[in-house]
Amino acid sequence: MSVVLPGELVPAQHVNLKLGPGLQQEAASQVTATRAGILEHSANNSRWWVESNSRRYVPAPQEPVVGVITGRLGEGWRVDIGSAHNASLDALAFEGASRRNRPNLKVGSLIYARVSLAHKDMEPELECFDAQTRKAEGFGELKGGFLVRCSLRMSRNLLDPNHFLLPLLGSRFPLDAAVGVNGRVWISAKEPKQTIAAARCIEGADPDGGGMDQLALKMFLDSLDF
Amino acid sequence: MSSRIEILNDGGFRSDGRRQYELREMTFDMAEQAGADGSASVAHGLTQVRVSVFGPREAKMRSQTIHDRANINVEVGIAPFSTGDRRKRSKGDKRILEFASTIKSTFEPVIQTALYPRSQIDIFVHVLQQDGGVLQACINATTLALANAGVPLLDFVCAVTGGVHAAAPMLDLTTLEENDLPHVTVAVMPRTGRVTLVSMETRLHVDRFEEILRLAGQAGGVIHKEMRAVVRERTKGLVDAMGAGVRTSDFAEDAMVADS
Amino acid sequence: MRPPSPSIPEKEFLFSTLEKSLRLDGRGLIEMRPLELTFGEELGHVDCTLGKTRVLAQVDAKMVRPLPERPFEGIISVHSEISPMASPEYESTGRPSDEEVALSRMLDKVIRRSDAVDREALCILAGQRVWHLRLTIHCLSDAGNLLDCACMAGMVALRHFRRPDVEVIGDEVTVHPPSSRAPVPLSLHHTPFSLTFALFAPSSSHTNISSQTAPITLLDPSLLEQRLASGTLSLALNAQRELCVVHKAGGVPLTPEEVLSAVNIAVQKAKELEKMVDARVREDWAMKKIEVR
Repeated sequence: MSVVLPGELVPAQHVNLKLGPGLQQEAASQVTATRAGILEHSANNSRWWVESNSRRYVPAPQEPVVGVITGRLGEGWRVDIGSAHNASLDALAFEGASRRNRPNLKVGSLIYARVSLAHKDMEPELECFDAQTRKAEGFGELKGGFLVRCSLRMSRNLLDPNHFLLPLLGSRFPLDAAVGVNGRVWISAKEPKQTIAAARCIEGADPDGGGMDQLALKMFLDSLDF
Repeated sequence: MSSRIEILNDGGFRSDGRRQYELREMTFDMAEQAGADGSASVAHGLTQVRVSVFGPREAKMRSQTIHDRANINVEVGIAPFSTGDRRKRSKGDKRILEFASTIKSTFEPVIQTALYPRSQIDIFVHVLQQDGGVLQACINATTLALANAGVPLLDFVCAVTGGVHAAAPMLDLTTLEENDLPHVTVAVMPRTGRVTLVSMETRLHVDRFEEILRLAGQAGGVIHKEMRAVVRERTKGLVDAMGAGVRTSDFAEDAMVADS
Repeated sequence: MRPPSPSIPEKEFLFSTLEKSLRLDGRGLIEMRPLELTFGEELGHVDCTLGKTRVLAQVDAKMVRPLPERPFEGIISVHSEISPMASPEYESTGRPSDEEVALSRMLDKVIRRSDAVDREALCILAGQRVWHLRLTIHCLSDAGNLLDCACMAGMVALRHFRRPDVEVIGDEVTVHPPSSRAPVPLSLHHTPFSLTFALFAPSSSHTNISSQTAPITLLDPSLLEQRLASGTLSLALNAQRELCVVHKAGGVPLTPEEVLSAVNIAVQKAKELEKMVDARVREDWAMKKIEVR
């Protein structure tokens, strides 16, 4: 595990080098870091990236996000996903949607969607289905439940199957969750108390907030009443 | 600053000859200004306020539209000649801004704003003469002006000022009394008797506050009666003018915004 | 771009939990977030945090000529500003926002109009020299209930502040630096605390203001609660059961009994706060004295 700071040279070398967030190639074979964080690379040294934490989301294609509808836009909606610009979501980008049968979303509704287009000169675009299969695959409107805001690192952690938090919560009570990598997590449990407990655990485990580890969080969860 | 004037003398009279719980003479005039959609002019003793209402209409600034209800815009102007010492207050004066935002938030839940999405209701308040109880007069005048404009209201809002002099509560204070006494402005919604606005800026013991709050609640009912009579009169006049002479009495009843 | 208003699920969830008397951060309905006071090196420098809301207050004094209409009284001025730094809600354009007006008026009412500071005690030489106290409030972060946090910071800063001792012989004024004579605390008549309640209309019909059931009142609203509340009730009062400010404009109408029960809760809280603030200020002064010696 090595920490890099912006401007630092990174020993990334490979015939088929791919650079992820936080790295930039300057001269022919010179790679420098542009973000502070932990330098990571894939097993065969071909992919390199910097793992860091931030709060502001920058959209990237194929990432799942949780958004809030903020208004209508022609045939679709404007969606706030926490990025610099509002994203647009087409009314036809849903499973089974057609010109006649379109989903009924109101201003303020929550949706779970995938970023289908992210380009620095264009508004991001979202879709609520898989463009190939035209199946929802879990995307769509999120009804009920509650929205928790956390750091981007925390939301990536939650998507990691090896992370302890969601399995731990799941072992105590049944829980639905939709994790967006834009630092928004939707959770829904049967009892409001359980939802509150889950929300407080996410805040507690957030490296940018409580920063509790597995043991501390277990104790914290035991102290809650649900 | 101790008083040179006796606020309440041994005979139980105040400096202007009123009793403790006596209100000043109230004058309510509706629809004086032809250009506005609704207007009213209210006087409590020497305090005089005029309100004109425009709307619901399209918002002047698009950024101010709210997608599911009407936006209420309140502007307050205080005439420089309204007080003893002639003083011009600028529009950006924080006291005036607070005054406007108090009126705005008082009426926001009373007006059925959800009926007019993406529109704006403008309320212009002009204080012409000040002799205590300015907020009270502004609120009463706004209620009447809104009723006059035909803006749907859930209830009247009736405001009154109360103060305490040496453990003796009194109502409807003049400037002279306001300067010397702790005072509270209370606005009630007469239908339920609930309090929608309480505003106090001077030090007062909790027990005294309790007393004055209850008293003001009752006084609000009295003011409501007067205001209702004026609205009734005005509605009757309008209905008569429409030529519906025969059914005047029950029609006027139906047109009432609220009933007891 | 202002952040959009809370989403429908957030709104509905908050209302449903409030009906069960639960709060999202695990507090009771009339429980405040933990209050922390950090004093700076200088006297009259206080960093006040209420949960994640954070306000910095600073007092300084200088000698000036008194106002001609009040030759025996010192001058107190309060400067407050909400910068966009506190929260993305605030913008730095032109005219002051509603929140800013409400904050500066509340501070003015709590600190100046309530006569918290004995102004005559700030007089040095009648008509010639008085102290001018400047209280500056910096809002560093707004995570809900900025108003109470700012008032608290302001009042505590005044309690923490001590002005240099002065000696008047005839017409000559000598100011003793803190190294030769211990600075003297301000003479305060009382310490008002601002307490804000957020009001929520009962049951699902949160737009119906004429319903008969009692609304839900909760103390020290968080950001989400504050944004979703249908009205607030701000009280400022001291531990001696004296109300200094009552401000409730619009929102859910309350019966007089409901207002009074909120007042009674506030009385209790004010007593607790007074005790805590008093202890903290004393503690800090004790530490400072050792340093001086």
